[in-house]
Amino acid sequence: MNLSMKGIVKSFGANDVLKSVDFNLNEGEICALLGENGAGKSTLMNILGGVLSADKGTIELDGKPVSFANPAQSLSAGIAFIHQELNLINDLPVYENMFIGREIKKRSGFLDHKAMYQKTKELFDSMGLEIDPGTMVSSLDASFKQIVEISRALMMNASIIIMDEPTTSLTDPEIERVFDMLRMLKQQKVAVIFISHKLREVMEICDRYTVLRDGVLVADGYVKDTSIPEIARHMVGHEVKTGTSSREVHLGDEVLRLENLTQEPYFRNVSLKVHAGEVLGITGLLGDGRSELFRTVFGAEGKYQGKIYVNGKPVTMTSTQQALGLGIGYLPRNRKENGIIKDMDILENGSIVTMPKTTKFGLIRAGELLKQFRTQRKNLQIKMENETDSITSLSGGNQQKVVLAKWLSANPKLLILDNPTQGVDVGAKEEIYDIILRLADEGVAIVVLCSEAQEIIRLCDRALVMYHGTVRAEVSGESMNEHEMMRLATGG
Amino acid sequence: MTQRTNVPNETFMQKAIRLWKSKPIFSTACVLVLMVILQTLALGFEFETFGEWFSFWGRNWINILRNNANVGIVALGMTFVIISGGIDLAVGSTLVAVGAVLMVFVNQYPTGLLTAAGITGVPAFAIGILACMLMGCALGGISGFLVSKQKLPAFIATLGMMKICRSVTQQLMQTQGVKVPPAFLSISNFKIGGQVILPIIYWLIIAVILHIVSKKTPFGRQVFAIGSNERTARLSGINVEKVKWLVYVLSGFLVSIAAIIQVARIGSMDYANAGSGYEMDAIAAVVVGGTSMSGGRGSILGTVLGMLIIAVMNNLLNLMGVPPFLREAFKGFIVVAAVLLQKKESDS
Repeated sequence: MNLSMKGIVKSFGANDVLKSVDFNLNEGEICALLGENGAGKSTLMNILGGVLSADKGTIELDGKPVSFANPAQSLSAGIAFIHQELNLINDLPVYENMFIGREIKKRSGFLDHKAMYQKTKELFDSMGLEIDPGTMVSSLDASFKQIVEISRALMMNASIIIMDEPTTSLTDPEIERVFDMLRMLKQQKVAVIFISHKLREVMEICDRYTVLRDGVLVADGYVKDTSIPEIARHMVGHEVKTGTSSREVHLGDEVLRLENLTQEPYFRNVSLKVHAGEVLGITGLLGDGRSELFRTVFGAEGKYQGKIYVNGKPVTMTSTQQALGLGIGYLPRNRKENGIIKDMDILENGSIVTMPKTTKFGLIRAGELLKQFRTQRKNLQIKMENETDSITSLSGGNQQKVVLAKWLSANPKLLILDNPTQGVDVGAKEEIYDIILRLADEGVAIVVLCSEAQEIIRLCDRALVMYHGTVRAEVSGESMNEHEMMRLATGG
Repeated sequence: MTQRTNVPNETFMQKAIRLWKSKPIFSTACVLVLMVILQTLALGFEFETFGEWFSFWGRNWINILRNNANVGIVALGMTFVIISGGIDLAVGSTLVAVGAVLMVFVNQYPTGLLTAAGITGVPAFAIGILACMLMGCALGGISGFLVSKQKLPAFIATLGMMKICRSVTQQLMQTQGVKVPPAFLSISNFKIGGQVILPIIYWLIIAVILHIVSKKTPFGRQVFAIGSNERTARLSGINVEKVKWLVYVLSGFLVSIAAIIQVARIGSMDYANAGSGYEMDAIAAVVVGGTSMSGGRGSILGTVLGMLIIAVMNNLLNLMGVPPFLREAFKGFIVVAAVLLQKKESDS
C-alpha cells in the first residue's frame, strides 16, 4: 500500500507544530522519520494513527483520500502504531495478547483458547519465529515483546507499521532480532515508518529517510546516498561534533573506591576507583548490573557485601540522604519514572535536593531557591518560559537539564549519570556532553553509565566494561573503541 | 504542548473557563459560593430589620462551622495523608482511643487517675491533654510504621488500626458513663462575644498553620513529591520512610486535638459511636476539595472549602426540609460529582 500525506498543517494554540508537511511511503519500504524532539515527528504520526486530526492537508492510501477520526479507523485501514511504551499485558500469555479486544469466542460465549493459540502459532511459524504462544508476556525479553507487538499488527492485516523509537530499551543482540523481523516484513510488502534518534541504526535498516525540523520537511532521500553527519546536520541545522574529547585530565584525590562490592544476583566482586576531575565510563549491555551497582553506591538498593570508601573513608551506605550528605549526586535512568515529579513545577523539580537545606525558621527560602535555579538555568541553557510552568511542558532534553540542575545546585563531589542523554535530541546531547566535561574540569568526579559506545568514547577518560555483573576489563585511549568494547561486553 | 499561562484578549467567560480547568481550587470555590447563595435564599428574608436577619444568618453559620470543626481538623491531617499517596481509615477509632486516655486522666470521678493521685484542675488538664496528644501521635506512628517501614498498603494498615483501636477501647472502658470536670469544658465552650466559637477558631488556626506547612516547609513539599513520584523522591535524597511516617503521626496528632475539643464540648465520650464515620467524612471533604486520591496534588485550602461545601449542603438540605435519611445520598452524590469533575480536568 502506498501512503501519501500532503500539506499537513497542525497547530496547538499559537504553536505551529507542522507547517505543511508532505510525507510519502511506498509498499514494502522502511522509511526513517527523523528530527530533534519537538520537530513534529510524533504529531505527524499521531495524525496518521488517528490520534490527532490535521488542521489542513490530505492523506491518501493508494491514491484514495482517507481520514481517520480515531485510532481504530486508522488501524482498520491497515496502519498500526507501535508506541515506545509497548501495549502488551504482561500477565497474559502471548496468544491472548494477540487477540486483545478481538478475542475468538466459542458459540457458548467463552474464549476459544485453542483457536487463538493455533492461529498465533500459524503466524509465528510462517515468520519462522520460535516463540511458544503460551508463554507469558512478562517472561519475554524486550525484543520479543516488540516482535509480539509487530506480529499482532500483522495479524490485524496492517500494511503500514509505525514504530516509535523501537530500540531505546533494547540491547544490541535484541536490536538485531527486531531488525531481522523488519527485513522479513519488507519481503511481505509491509511498509515501516521508523522513528529513531539512533542514526547508525537508520543507516543499517532503512531504505529512505525524511527529516523534519521545526515542523518543516528539511530533507528526504535514500539512505544509500547519504551519511550520518549529513543527516545529523539536517536534524540540527549545523555541524555536529563527534569523536573523542581531547581534554587534559587533572586527576585529583580519590573520591570513590569500591572493594569487592557484591549484591546477588545483580553484580559481584566489583572493585574500582574514581578520582576528582575524571570521567569514568561504565558500559556493557542491558542487564550487566551497572545500574544496580551505582544505585547501591547511592544508597538506594539496600544491603550489599564488600566495602565502599568515599573520600578515603569507609562508609556503610544505607540511604539516599546519606549519599547526598557525602556529596554524591545521582541522575537516574528513565527520566519519567525516576527523574521528574510530574505534578511539580520546573523550579520545584530543579530545587528538590537543595530545598531541605535552604530554610529559615523551618520555612523554605523561595527567593534563594529561585536564585540558585536561575544560576543553573543559565549555566545549563535550559530553554523554558516560566519557572512555575509544569515540568512536563519542557522537551526531553530540557527536562533532563532540570534533573541535572537539581544535583548541580547541591555541588556534588561525585556525580553518577545513568544514561544521561536518554531520549534527548542530538543538539541537546552535545550541550549535555559539554556540561559534563566542564564539570570534570572543575574537579567533580564523574561516572557515566551508558551502553552507547559513541557516548563513552566522546565523554570518558577511561571506561570499565561490565558483563553479567562483573567488570570484564578497563579500556582507555586506543583500546576504548567500539569493537573492543562490544567484544568485552558480549563476553567475547 | 506548553500550557500558556497568560493569554491576551480573552473574554471574561474564557478566562473563567480556563481558571476552572486549570485551578481546581477555583472550581471548588465557585461551587461553595453557589451553595452559600442557595443557602442564603433558603434562609429567607422574612425579618423586620437587616440586623435581625444578619444575626440569624450569622448564628446559622456559627452552628455550621462549629458542628464541622472536629471533622474539619481531622480532614486537614487526612489531606496530608492522601497527598502522600496513602489513606487513614483509623481516624474515627483513634478519636475514641485518645479520648479514652484523656478521660482516664481528667475525669472527676474516682476512676480518674490524676484525681486519685490528688492532682486536679489545670495541672491535671495539662497532663491529660499531653497524654492524649502523645497517644494520638503514637497510634498514628503505628499506622505510619506499618505503611512506611513494613510497606503495607495504607488501606490495610489503617483498616487494622481502625478495628483494633475502637474494640480495645470499648473493652477497656466498657460503657462507663463518666464525665469530665465542668472547668474542662471551657476549652471548647468559653464564650467569645456571647457565642461558642472556640472550636471554629482552633480549626482555622490549625488550617492556617498546616497551609503554611504544606506550601512553605521542606516536609510539606516532600509530602507532595512522594505522593507524585515516590521513586524520584527517594532518588532525590528524600527520606521517604520518615516523611511518610510523619504524615500518619500528624494525622494522629490532629485526631487527638479533635478529641480534646469534642470531650470539652460535650463533657464525655461515647466509645461506641464517637468519631464513627469521621474517616469517610474527612475523605469526602478532602476529595471534594480537589485533592487527588492518587496523591501528589491537593491543598489544605481545598479541604477547608470541601468541608464547607458538604456542611453548607447539609444545612441547605435541612432548611429545605429534605428528610435526614436522604441527606447522606446527597453527600454521596457530591463526592462522586467532584471526582468526575477532577477526572475531566486531568483528561483534558
